[in-house]
Amino acid sequence: MNLKHRIVSIMVCGALLSPAWMAMGQTAPPAADAPGADAPAPPAGLKTLDQEVQGLKKDVVDLNKDLFVLQEELLFPANTQVALYISMDVGAFFALDSVTVKIDNKEVKNYLYTAREADALLKGGVQQIYLGNLKVGRHELVAFFTGKGPVERDYKRGATINFDKGVGAKYLELKITDRVPKHQPEFMIKDWE
Amino acid sequence: MRNTLLVGGLVLSAALAASSPAAAPTMVGKEAPDFALRGLDGRNLRLSEFRGQVVLVNFWSRSDGDSRQQMPALDRINITYQRAGLVVLGVSVDDDLRRSKEFAAAMGVSYPILFDTGTKIGRDYLLQKMPMTILVDRSGIVRYSAVGFKSGGERVYLDQIRELLRE
Repeated sequence: MNLKHRIVSIMVCGALLSPAWMAMGQTAPPAADAPGADAPAPPAGLKTLDQEVQGLKKDVVDLNKDLFVLQEELLFPANTQVALYISMDVGAFFALDSVTVKIDNKEVKNYLYTAREADALLKGGVQQIYLGNLKVGRHELVAFFTGKGPVERDYKRGATINFDKGVGAKYLELKITDRVPKHQPEFMIKDWE
Repeated sequence: MRNTLLVGGLVLSAALAASSPAAAPTMVGKEAPDFALRGLDGRNLRLSEFRGQVVLVNFWSRSDGDSRQQMPALDRINITYQRAGLVVLGVSVDDDLRRSKEFAAAMGVSYPILFDTGTKIGRDYLLQKMPMTILVDRSGIVRYSAVGFKSGGERVYLDQIRELLRE
């Protein structure tokens, strides 16, 4: 579905939802029960209203999701989009503290990791650390990793990649792994071609 | 002549409108901008990881007298309400990191002190005067904001804190 059709469909959904919201606001409150009477079963009207509300909630969630995707497409169109991910596969040799990313000598990201976030990466999580736009052509990406290395000493290393940005989205991955023979962590940048 | 007077009057009224004190911008009602900073103990803390708890964020400066006076009061609040789910975070905005750390260590408060040497967080939170104290509810919305501090002024925070903890 192209961009124009998506905008039209979202507007139509909004137009369809608004009368339903107005009808809900005008619903009369239920009458009070007579004292001593048994609790009546929920009337069919209320059940239908509940289903309507659930349906509307689902529509709102779907609409929100569509809007988010639309926003991403508008801000980071596929032909200029560059996305950077980070993954960790380390145990003994490196505890990540922060990552700084420079593209063409300009700092684009500086991310500080909490213990919880570093733990999530260790457990196999992959984080989208940066999403931006780049022109077609040759670019250089430099990433600096700061943390605690072997023997709990302060550790800072860098990794560089020169890549060609063509037409279409570009995905790069910062990988931190253990280099067991040397008892050192290894930092590399992988191009998802 | 009449046109000159009319134009002059318009210019004067525009100047008066510009000089009159506008309401200070505030973050109340808006989502608290997320940040991650390094603490005095070396740990990194991220504001959004406290979602679900009531958070008091106090922006302070070592060189500001009100900030120094406020810290013991916040310490007492932290000790009292921590078990009820309140999180107190102190954020130093001093440029001199070394002296700020020395001062924070000397104060010996029980809540985390974080250090911000950049300008982004200050811009995000519309920092204009120190100290500034904000209260963030469990959904991450700024519900209260106060600038400055006078002795006994923490009573106002207590009312707000109790209300948010009850939610």
